[in-house]
Amino acid sequence: MSNSSARPTPLVGHPTALLEVQELSCRFGGLLALDRVSFSVQPGEIFGVIGPNGAGKTTLFNLISGVTPASGGAVCWRGEAITTLPPDRRNRLGVARTFQNLRLFEGLTVLENLLVALQRQPRSTALAGLLNSPRHRRAETQRLEKAWQLLEELELDRLAERQAGTLAYGDRRRLEIARALATGPALLLLDEPAAGLNPAEKEGLAALIRGLRSRHQLTLLVIEHHVPLLMRVCDRMAVLDFGVRIALGTPEQVRRDPNVIEAYLGGGA
Amino acid sequence: MQTLLNGAAAGGVYALVALGYTLVFSVLGVINFAQGALFSLGGYLTFLLMGGRISANGGLPGWGLPLALPFAPALLLAAMGAALASLLVERLAFAPLRQRNAEPLLSLITSLGAGLVLVNLLQLLMGAEGYAFPAGTLTGLPAAISLGGARIRSVQVLLLVICAAAVLLLTLWLERSRGGRALRAVAEDPTTARLLGIDSDAMVRLAFLLSGALAGLGGGLVGVSVSLPGPYFGIGYGLKGLAVLVLGGLGSVPGAIAGGLLMGLAEALVPADASGWRDALAFAILFAVLLLRPSGLLGRRLVEKV
Amino acid sequence: MERHAAERHAPVSRWGCTNVIDNGLLVQMLIGALLGVSVYLPLAAGQLSLATPAFYAVGGTLAALLSTRWAALGAGADGSFPLPSFLLELLLAGALAGLLALLVGRLVLRLQGIYLAIATIALVEIVRVAILNLPFTGGAIGIFAIPQPFATASGYLVPALALLALAGWGCQRLEGMPLGRAMAAIRDDELAARCMGIDTTATRLSAFVLSAVLAGSTGALAAHFLNTWNARQGSFDASITTLAFVILGGSRSWLGPVVGGLLLTALPELLRPVGDVRLVLFGLVILLGPVFFPRGLITPGLLERIGGRRQEAPR
Repeated sequence: MSNSSARPTPLVGHPTALLEVQELSCRFGGLLALDRVSFSVQPGEIFGVIGPNGAGKTTLFNLISGVTPASGGAVCWRGEAITTLPPDRRNRLGVARTFQNLRLFEGLTVLENLLVALQRQPRSTALAGLLNSPRHRRAETQRLEKAWQLLEELELDRLAERQAGTLAYGDRRRLEIARALATGPALLLLDEPAAGLNPAEKEGLAALIRGLRSRHQLTLLVIEHHVPLLMRVCDRMAVLDFGVRIALGTPEQVRRDPNVIEAYLGGGA
Repeated sequence: MQTLLNGAAAGGVYALVALGYTLVFSVLGVINFAQGALFSLGGYLTFLLMGGRISANGGLPGWGLPLALPFAPALLLAAMGAALASLLVERLAFAPLRQRNAEPLLSLITSLGAGLVLVNLLQLLMGAEGYAFPAGTLTGLPAAISLGGARIRSVQVLLLVICAAAVLLLTLWLERSRGGRALRAVAEDPTTARLLGIDSDAMVRLAFLLSGALAGLGGGLVGVSVSLPGPYFGIGYGLKGLAVLVLGGLGSVPGAIAGGLLMGLAEALVPADASGWRDALAFAILFAVLLLRPSGLLGRRLVEKV
Repeated sequence: MERHAAERHAPVSRWGCTNVIDNGLLVQMLIGALLGVSVYLPLAAGQLSLATPAFYAVGGTLAALLSTRWAALGAGADGSFPLPSFLLELLLAGALAGLLALLVGRLVLRLQGIYLAIATIALVEIVRVAILNLPFTGGAIGIFAIPQPFATASGYLVPALALLALAGWGCQRLEGMPLGRAMAAIRDDELAARCMGIDTTATRLSAFVLSAVLAGSTGALAAHFLNTWNARQGSFDASITTLAFVILGGSRSWLGPVVGGLLLTALPELLRPVGDVRLVLFGLVILLGPVFFPRGLITPGLLERIGGRRQEAPR
């Protein structure tokens, strides 16, 4: 074990990979939702995960973001195991996510949703906040500036004062992305970003994802039902079926993989 | 021997109260804080039905019912009275909130409000002081019997027997009868139960009716075996029942019974010179259990779906 | 607790009935408002904690003990008490309650929803029984003849108002800083908050401790004001009554519990002319209030209308 942290790290990942998933398994009662799934994501990549319904895609995201505990295997971040860290610690290391079923802070305004996520950028102490010290005011100004930048980037600025719960579906999806970006991640996990969008919005999504990568120096891991979209935007992808990774490679390789054709066509999907 | 019996008898009463909470919790997922007040009501109704008269400080001094029933029918009628009052609590404190789809949290407040109204009406009618059942209330029963060389109070035996019978009947009814199965179906999954043609509102009312009867029964039994120390006496039992409820796991019938007995016995084992601390014991145990096993001894774990 | 104070402080007018709102009742109302804010704080972070009366009792007991037993604080033979010592007690009571909350909170805040509520009720009962049975807290009678920093009930208006102003100011500040936003986020969706990097354990604990500090200081103030202090001050009824302050007043802004606390503390006294029926009526208000005002009296919409803030036009 090369690292010196107090926590024992049973598995140490490859140092050049940003995220590495090693033999990851998740069991719910008698159901094996994920069965020894492995892959690694390199910095700057857009990595897609596809698979039929119930293949374990969202479970995979829950394990990577720390929402669900893994039953076996490891999640490594920049070569160090983070499998037992809670979600907030993982976020602070640079892992941010969106939710397929949208979990905005619906009682708060759009702007406040971003300010929540910006709470450590920059840090300020509670005492400074209570006393409204100059330092706290500077921090607040910076937070507001960053929030407005993100709102403009995702075309939400005119909705800033609206309650998040009252937004249209497409706007909520973009707010989820903006909120995740506000935490300053290195890796962004997008869970079905195209779900519920209209055709025009879906069309814009590919450009949005590429734009996010270049503007924020991001690595992206995207789950998507809409396979053609992912084929266009991803550098590499993994295919899950019944919790097992059945293929891995560039979109071109995956498209020709007999296992994938079997899973998508053989299953009658 | 007497200690253990005392413990088991108290435990039986706690189990009755906890079962009352359990019935309502399993169908509605909320706690009915009026349970303690219904317990008081049961005690006072038993007293009045047996021919007890209101003292000089009550709202109607010297008044009493024009009848003096023996203990058994009086207890049964009191339990029925508490059951009807429980139905009224459901009508006033729970039904309006359910119709409006309001936050479940609000029913904590409204049910406590209903309990406050009930207890204070009792106080208005009966006065704040305590009542004792007259000696010889249980005709034909010797004050004490000897068992294996030890003399024990027979009223405690009676209390334990009645509690056990009530718990057994309820469990059998839940397991075996049509109504019991329907109630369990609603507790398991209200939507599916409705699709199967079960009237879930009727089941909610049934749960309140039964839980009120259990509370009334407990109040009458405690009144006869100890005394009625004032209209608020049920609140204390209500709180202990709450501790038992969590100890056994919310919504678990065997848990409520086991938890009640455990709690009663634990309290009985507190030495006499520390008896002042007895009331804290239930909550200290509750605290420990919650920290070690948040879903209770026999409860199910809840998992949030993402 | 209401009865003691009212009997001691209420001036009897020449008509033979008590003045409806006198300064003594005003102080009680302010104490109610403070306790309401104390229940509101954890609720603002999505935690249904009913522990406020426990911390109130701890703070009051500490103040009662210190002022009657510790001569260095300067209690006079005539029952007077120096103001600086009184202020010191407010601080110490808040600190002790906060410390207790820090210890207890680490354990109980792992619990969610109704389990947390019941665990905090258990805490209230344990504290009540402890105060009743400890050898130095005066048993059922309690501690009496607590020295008075002020000659009249009106004197307590100033510290009570100051404490409430401080609490309100703190709540207002919270809304514009990371801690308060984290609390609001947890209340809306705890899991999403964790995924946004919020240390929910620390945030919930902060809200719990702030709530306890406020309740502890309020208890110290109340102990002097009431003149006697016993285990009845923090009971299960008080747990639910203080929760009712928040629910009836409105739980979306700190003004809600303030209004709820003021009104519901005054109500039993205002109903005094109707005699013993008043407690029944009080119960009816608690029973029917949430039915008619499920979101409480003070809602964000109401505040916007009062504040004249432009409401966002619905599309």
